[in-house]
Amino acid sequence: MTGVRLEGIVKAYGRIQVVHGIDLNVEEKEFVVLVGPSGCGKSTTLRMIAGLEEITDGTLHIHERLCNRVAPKDRDVAMVFQNYALYPHLNVADNIAFGLRIRKTPKAEIAKSVSDVAEILGLTEYLDRRPADLSGGQRQRVAMGRAIVRHPKVFLFDEPLSNLDAKLRTQMRAEIKRLHKRLDVTSVYVTHDQVEAMTLADRIVVMNKGIIEQIGTPMDLFMNPANTFVASFIGSPPMNQMPATITRSPDGYRALIDQVSVPLHNSLSVSEGQDVIVGIRPEHFSLKNDGGLPAIPLSLDLVETLGSEALLHATVDNQSVIVKTDTNGDISQLSNVDTVYVPPEKVKIFDAGTGKVIS
Amino acid sequence: MTAKSVGNAANNTASGTPDGTVEYAAPALTLGDKLSRAVDHFRNEWQLYVMLAPAVIWCIVFLYKPMYGLQIAFKDYSIFRGVAASPWIGLEHFETLFGNDQFIRAVFNTIKISALNLLFGFPAPIILALMFNEVLHAGYKRFAQTIVYLPHFISTVIIAGIVITAFSPTAGIVNTILGWFGADSIYFLTKPEWFRPIFVGTGIWQEAGFGSIVFLAAIAGVNPSLYESAVVDGASRWQMMWKITIPSILPTIIIMLIIRIGNIMEVSFELIILLYQPATYSTADVVNTFVYRQGLQSGQYDMAAAAGLFNAAVAFVLVVAANSLSRRYSRTSLW
Amino acid sequence: MKLHYALTAALVSAVLTSPAYAADEDYTIVDEPLELTIQMNHARYPVYKEDWPVEQEARKLTNIHLQDVTIGANMRTDENSGRTEALNLMLAGGKIPDIVGSSRLKDFVNQYGPEGAFLPLNDLIEEHAPNLKKYFDERPEIQAAISAADGNMYYIPYLPDGKYGRAYFIRYDWLDALGLEVPQTVDEFEAALRAFKTQDPNGNGEADEVPYFARQWPELIRLVTLWDGRSSGSDTYHDFYVDNGEIKHPYAGEGYREGIKNLARWYEEGLIDAEIFTRGSSSREFLLSENLGGATHDWFASTSGYNRLSSEIEGFEFKALAPPASISGKRIEEHRRIPIKPDGWAIGGTNKHPIETIKYFDFWFTEKGRRLANFGAEGIQYDMIDGEPIFKDSVLNSDEPVNAQLWAVGSQLQARGFFQDYNYEKQWSNEFALEGIALYDEGDYLIDQFLGVAFNADEQRVYDRYWGSIRDYMLERQQSWVLGNGDVVADWDDYMAQLEKLGLSDVLEVMNSAYKRQYGQ
Repeated sequence: MTGVRLEGIVKAYGRIQVVHGIDLNVEEKEFVVLVGPSGCGKSTTLRMIAGLEEITDGTLHIHERLCNRVAPKDRDVAMVFQNYALYPHLNVADNIAFGLRIRKTPKAEIAKSVSDVAEILGLTEYLDRRPADLSGGQRQRVAMGRAIVRHPKVFLFDEPLSNLDAKLRTQMRAEIKRLHKRLDVTSVYVTHDQVEAMTLADRIVVMNKGIIEQIGTPMDLFMNPANTFVASFIGSPPMNQMPATITRSPDGYRALIDQVSVPLHNSLSVSEGQDVIVGIRPEHFSLKNDGGLPAIPLSLDLVETLGSEALLHATVDNQSVIVKTDTNGDISQLSNVDTVYVPPEKVKIFDAGTGKVIS
Repeated sequence: MTAKSVGNAANNTASGTPDGTVEYAAPALTLGDKLSRAVDHFRNEWQLYVMLAPAVIWCIVFLYKPMYGLQIAFKDYSIFRGVAASPWIGLEHFETLFGNDQFIRAVFNTIKISALNLLFGFPAPIILALMFNEVLHAGYKRFAQTIVYLPHFISTVIIAGIVITAFSPTAGIVNTILGWFGADSIYFLTKPEWFRPIFVGTGIWQEAGFGSIVFLAAIAGVNPSLYESAVVDGASRWQMMWKITIPSILPTIIIMLIIRIGNIMEVSFELIILLYQPATYSTADVVNTFVYRQGLQSGQYDMAAAAGLFNAAVAFVLVVAANSLSRRYSRTSLW
Repeated sequence: MKLHYALTAALVSAVLTSPAYAADEDYTIVDEPLELTIQMNHARYPVYKEDWPVEQEARKLTNIHLQDVTIGANMRTDENSGRTEALNLMLAGGKIPDIVGSSRLKDFVNQYGPEGAFLPLNDLIEEHAPNLKKYFDERPEIQAAISAADGNMYYIPYLPDGKYGRAYFIRYDWLDALGLEVPQTVDEFEAALRAFKTQDPNGNGEADEVPYFARQWPELIRLVTLWDGRSSGSDTYHDFYVDNGEIKHPYAGEGYREGIKNLARWYEEGLIDAEIFTRGSSSREFLLSENLGGATHDWFASTSGYNRLSSEIEGFEFKALAPPASISGKRIEEHRRIPIKPDGWAIGGTNKHPIETIKYFDFWFTEKGRRLANFGAEGIQYDMIDGEPIFKDSVLNSDEPVNAQLWAVGSQLQARGFFQDYNYEKQWSNEFALEGIALYDEGDYLIDQFLGVAFNADEQRVYDRYWGSIRDYMLERQQSWVLGNGDVVADWDDYMAQLEKLGLSDVLEVMNSAYKRQYGQ
């Protein structure tokens, strides 16, 4: 049984179409993250699932029930908003209880649910406070509490962490993940932050300009991006991308980046003279030549030290490249780096015209 | 620091101490130090003072200087002699006023009319704003708003003319409609019992639309995701109005209410003068019309000032009371 | 100047027949031109204009040049608040010009004159103003009426001429149509009004006639005179009146009670405009031009003017009716032109040339000055024909009313102390007005007026303290009774008791003490 199923979902405002036909299956209890730059249609898609936006075309099923015309309250979904949407005039307990009150749940039941939820979220001692008296993280928890308390079939999160500072975000991220494990409810989560997507998702949906670029598990997207967009969106720093031309050499195809040539894995279906884009993740470079890896000469511009890791900003034939390397506590040699090595199987080749991966 | 802390936010942040309280022993400043600091401060921040100046000057010229003239309430004032040279007569004007049954009646009439205004006139713009908020069709909404704003821009004299015509016993629309139901025509504007409803109703008709603007603005400031969240939670429009819109604009409502209470002694006396008759004095005569008739018309500025002072004192007490009640029970207050 | 006056008096007949002599008269007050400042504010001419032909003429004759320094000029005709604003502003400003002319000046100068803001005029007139002296000597009651409580005169008033002000008007053509005689008694008047109401004189098939209407609702109360009551003793509404040398208030009299009782009955019967209290100043225009109004009590000249409607309404004839005889057979017209107005001019307390100024005031009471004040400039507004000033045709036939034309050249200024000449108005009065005046001249309908009193400070205090409330209460009850809220006969004792409680007898006491002091009884 699927939790949420989108088939050919289209959203248009008048003649302006912003979501161009999306197909997506969210399995029951699965945590799916919609990620993409702003304006890619991810929030609109989420809001269509919630029922806050009308669906222009296509079908939406929630737990195998056609929900295109079902009122939001009858879809049995709960939504967490970016700015929390807490009622400033109600205290924490009343905010959490709001949805239950609207549904005329018996008072005793409300009280129990609220205290349970407060327990789970660690809000018990704040129940009498008003939102204005809470910190950002506490407010975020209250917002989640409001969603949880109703025991919905589907949780919808609309960039719930983007109003928090970096430290809190990391912390809340983990909490959401734990919560999901504990509650085990179908969740659709929207964010523009690929780190959030990577850490939270069972599966990630990368969206761009109203279409889905790729769906897959975090590692899948990281290791096998379907196109240059996904490649540049997932991973931090993003995958290095350099235009190149395919040349043929005795030991197989090579990609010629200006003057530097990179050997390619044999299985790639490329042809000589093809314009491609070479993609190499910063993490996949190696400073040591372990077993006859092809060498790539580069000129170093800058070393950024992050502690256990360091980023080397460099150029390869006038293409800027970032190399990520472990420091092992010593950065003294890094400024002397002039060559890096890369295993051919880690080199991704994309079609220069379509941006699609060539495998 | 105390000598130069006025409006100096930049200074505060710059000298902000790290967390934790550390006692700071201020060095003793000589007068010269203080002065030179003040001069420095003024040199650096003079733009702020220039911006402040118009408001301060306005207050002094139009609010504080006229207060000097209030003393004529306790004097036998002659314009020729001037404020300073007129002899003191203590509370005689107040005794005259409070010894006058008509003044007492005018005080109670003022309070009654104001109370009715508050009871019916205050909620009207709020209700109107809530209704406008529920109108989804933008064009129709604009049209309806324009219509209800219009009376605000009509001069009081014209309003009075419209009211007199509308309630005319021979040709008025009200009596014409009553006539359809077989009722006898009523000469409304000479019936004391009808004066207050007509006056309050006219006030609502004239000002409710325009007054709704401030509440519409407050409604526009409500976070839209509150409504979305409520929609997902399953709230109806009616529930959203009661549970979100009204509580969200409550601070605005309370502030407006406090201001309104402050003006409780200031009923729109131009309209009363234009609408009342000796026959309706018993319900229509308010402090301001009483003062106008008996004070200003015969040049008794001193007595008029006494009545005005009384008005202001009552209003002051009411505002302070309303404000402290509000602060205690709703966490909203003017100061 | 005295010599000149004697000369003038001796030559009056000669002057009348040959105006050429007038040019030879010497009215010069000073040899070198003397400039005096003047504040003159009136709704019709908010400031004094130095280029008025009348001012120019007076300059030439007297060598006194008036310079306008008016402060707070405003055009408000609202007689309640506009009247003294400019004066108060001038006084508050601290500078009082040499001459102050205004409407509603009397109470103002009588209050502030004794404080020193204006000069007392009695001695100045006695010594330097033969024409004024002669005028006041002949009319001691006028001098008494304008004097302040300290016995001094502080202003020279505008003195209207002519007797008649308001009169009863009725639709003669309606009377004819219904076969009624012109009503001579209150009963006939009532019968005529009832016939107007019930017999459809305008012939439109609806009982929409408004038998009696009035632009000012107190003109309804005026009708209590038909039951021997009084409504006012002067041309001010609700004023006190003099009864055998004693001041009384009309609204505390038996005749008034009787009158109100009957007016309430008339109102209930629909003989009186149902909207009399709210219809306001346009009611005459509206009701007459819509062929609805039957009778009113209003000014001769302007009301007669409505006979022009005969071109639109066939047979329209709205003419004066002699006052109907009251229940006791008395025929009185309570309203008349008051001989003195509270308007005029005064000499500022800081004037350095009081003698020249009073001589200048006196100039306007000479034959020549009075003509200048009444008719404008000779040869421009009028010509002397057979010794009488006669307006030029261009003045009489202009689209603009004659009085407005005269204000525009600086004559007929009520903010100037002068003695009006009724002849000025007669020349341009409508024939119906003249006919009505002739009708009123046949009977002796006018009654003596109460010309007002000047209080001393103690009297003023009593009056200020009580009178406003009493007046309010009287009017409140009055309207209520007419409208049928309460019965005047049943309420009368309570009413009188309440008036007593509000201090009516205290007010009457100070009125009478001031009156006796002022008019020497």
